[in-house]
Parts: sequence; structure tokens; C-alpha cells
Amino acid sequence: MAIAIYVPRINNNDDEVKVLAFEVSVGDKLNVGQIVGQVETDKAVLDVTASVDGYVLGFAAKPEEVVQVGSVMLWVGETKDEAIPEIQDPLASESSTQTSQITAKARILIEKNALRADIIPPIDGRVTVEAVERYLSMHAGAKPETKASAFAQPAQALPEVQGKPVSLTREEKGMAATVTWHRDFAVAGYIEIDYDLAPWVEYAKRFQEEKGLLMPPLLPLMAWRLSEIAQETPRLNATIIANQRYEYIPVNLGFTIQAGDALYLAVVRNTEKLDEFGFVNALGDVLRRAAGHKLRESEASGATIGFSSMERWKVTHHIPILPPHTALMIAHAAGKNGRGVLGASYDHRVLNGGQVVTALKELSLPKKYQA
Amino acid sequence: MVLNKESVAAEIKAKIIEIAAQTGDDASELELDEIIPATGLIDSTGLLELIAWYEKFYEIALAQEEINIDNLGTLTRMAEFVLHKKG
Repeated sequence: MAIAIYVPRINNNDDEVKVLAFEVSVGDKLNVGQIVGQVETDKAVLDVTASVDGYVLGFAAKPEEVVQVGSVMLWVGETKDEAIPEIQDPLASESSTQTSQITAKARILIEKNALRADIIPPIDGRVTVEAVERYLSMHAGAKPETKASAFAQPAQALPEVQGKPVSLTREEKGMAATVTWHRDFAVAGYIEIDYDLAPWVEYAKRFQEEKGLLMPPLLPLMAWRLSEIAQETPRLNATIIANQRYEYIPVNLGFTIQAGDALYLAVVRNTEKLDEFGFVNALGDVLRRAAGHKLRESEASGATIGFSSMERWKVTHHIPILPPHTALMIAHAAGKNGRGVLGASYDHRVLNGGQVVTALKELSLPKKYQA
Repeated sequence: MVLNKESVAAEIKAKIIEIAAQTGDDASELELDEIIPATGLIDSTGLLELIAWYEKFYEIALAQEEINIDNLGTLTRMAEFVLHKKG
């Protein structure tokens, strides 16, 4: 049966993207992970990759066409001569659900929320719990019993002072949606501790020399330590769904990076399957792609825990916004006189202050320095 | 387009000066064989921007394991690595 490769979502608030180009032709053999084409928003260009092995059967979108996120981009078959389903508008068609892969847990969540599976934009070709949650957070306003839509604002009268309206960029809209999730869903708290910078600086310096790294690895190493702590303490890597704590199985670490005017949360998925050096390399890879505005779909979404640093700007204190569906975001800042401040925004529905302080204290020292 | 080491190094230096200026640093005195990260002129975010630009400008793709001090640590090494990659 023909399998669809869908138009991916680049950021939270973009429901349409432009197809830039295809890098494959009808009849080409495809392997999982192979780049099939690119889509773009105002500033970001994203490679679209094959979610299955097979042969290109045909295209449902054209280069330069603006298309809906979640619509079919191209069809792949096990053989070259399979028929393409007769679907022109997959978002409105029941058949698209037959060709997307829906996980069992996602199906339960879809039924629980009385949704149709075919309206959920898949992630990397699969409708997962994460894809359903993302849809729910973006369309909360559509349901009368839920809070206002992610970016809905009460009508405001124009200020008395003269001014002119300026449309938000897509990145700015995405940021507004994230901030609104924090406001509408999380019960945010913030805690910080003071710590000695020397052990981490020394550890990172030695690591960089031993591995011959170009990039200073201090922040990646601290982010790796956070991942380890989250593996040991699952409630740090969780959210609240339907009055239950939902502890994620993978630890997907989101790391903020400013690339020009765009602020990305670049995500390393399944960090529990990596070792320290593997994580540093994986994070380096996604950060490099973010810096070039080339994050893949799976690298721009799905964070389960976050790390943010404003050291670059010599900021000594900042309170990060929680990415949607996370309970902990570390705030790293510039140190002063050998001392640093390590903070954390957290969702008080999931974590209490004591649990966050414990995590921060663990994070303030490299593992090998701990008793 | 024929690349030569000196002009490539000069292009890279111009980019480093631009990136360093974002955080108020002046990289105009950067020497050809100075270890770039050790100078403190550009931080890790700046280095990422430099590498992203380097790949795009010279139309080369780097593997993560190639991003090390030996290949890219100085202006000279970065220029030589472009020529090596362009083969």
C-alpha cells in the first residue's frame, strides 16, 4: 500500500509552509532518513526526510506551492508500480489516516478527546502522543470547555497614543504561542542557586583538550548532566495531561539557540541512548543546523526538558519560559567572580521547589566531582 | 572559481570580525595561526554561526567529527580545510 510523506511543521504557529524543491524523482529508490525535499517559512528551511524505505510513486505538492502542514507531500510504495491513492485533499480525507502510522497511545488520546485522526499533522510520518498533544495545545480554543486558543487574546481597545500596527513574523507568532502555553497551562515557579564555577570550567576544559573539540563543551556537558539527572528522576521529565502526571519515556533535551533574529529550541531526542561524548556531538549537530536555519522537523519539536543559557549576553539572571509540555527549563547565566547562578523555571503542577533545588544542586557539579 | 589560501583566510577573518562585533569584541587583530576559540573573541554560539556560514559560503558539508581544532582551529587551518574539501 502506498505510504504518504507529509508536509512537516516547522514551528508551533505555522499551519502553512512553502515547498521549495524535491530532491527525488518518480521511480527513485528511497531509504529511511533520506532527504526528499525542502520546505520553508520566512526564515527557516527544513529538510523533509523519508519515513519509510521504498520507491517514489508521485508528488502531491509542487515546488513553490504553499501547502498545509500535515497534507501529503509525496507518495512512497514498496514497488515502483503501486497505485497512488486518489486523494487530492488528504486533510479532509479519511484515507489519510489509513496511510499514516498511528501509535496505540496516540489512538487512545485521539478517542479520549473525540478527535479525528486525519486532522492531526504527523511528526516524521507518524501520529504519536506528542503529535496529538501538539494539536490539542494549538487548537485548545476550538473546544468550549478548554481555555482560550493558544494565541487568542481578548479584544483590546487601541491605545490612546498614536501608533501603527506591524504584523508579527512567523517566529514571533511561534514565540507568542509558546509563551501563551506557559501562561494558560503551566503553573510556573522559579528557583535559583548560587554555585562554584571552577569544577565545571575545569571539567569542560579537560574534556575539550582530550577530545580536540573546536566548540567549548561546557554547556553541552551541563545539558548532558541534566539529561542524566532526568533519567534518574523521571518526574523532572514529565508534564500534566488530564490530571495525571505524564512521565515521558525518552529524554528529549531542548536547548535554546539564537540564530540571527530567530530563537530556536533545538532538540536532541532519546538522549538516554547516548553517552556523554555522543550527546555532545549530537547537540553540536543540531545546534549547527539551527545556526544555518536548517533544523529538521524532529529537531525542532518534542522537547521533554529544556536548557537555556544567556551567558553570551553577559546576563547574570533570567527566567526562561517553559516550552510546551515540559516541567523544567534550566536557566544558565554568566558567572561573576568565580560564582555562577543556576536557575530553573518549573511547572508547579509537576514539581515542587524542593525537587527542583535537589536537581539544581546535582547539576551544579560534574558527576565525577559528586560524593 | 579558483580558491587560494590567503583569500579564503581573509574571507573567514572578515566573518569572524563581524560575529565578534555582535558581542562587542574586536577581532581585527586575529592572527593566522591563533587558536580561534582560545582567543575568547567569539563564543560557542558565534562559532556555530561561523561554521554554518563556512559550510554555506564554501558549499561544503562537514561531518560532526570533522569539526575539531586540528581542522578548523585557526584561520590557516580553516582555509586549508576548505581547499582540502574542495579537492
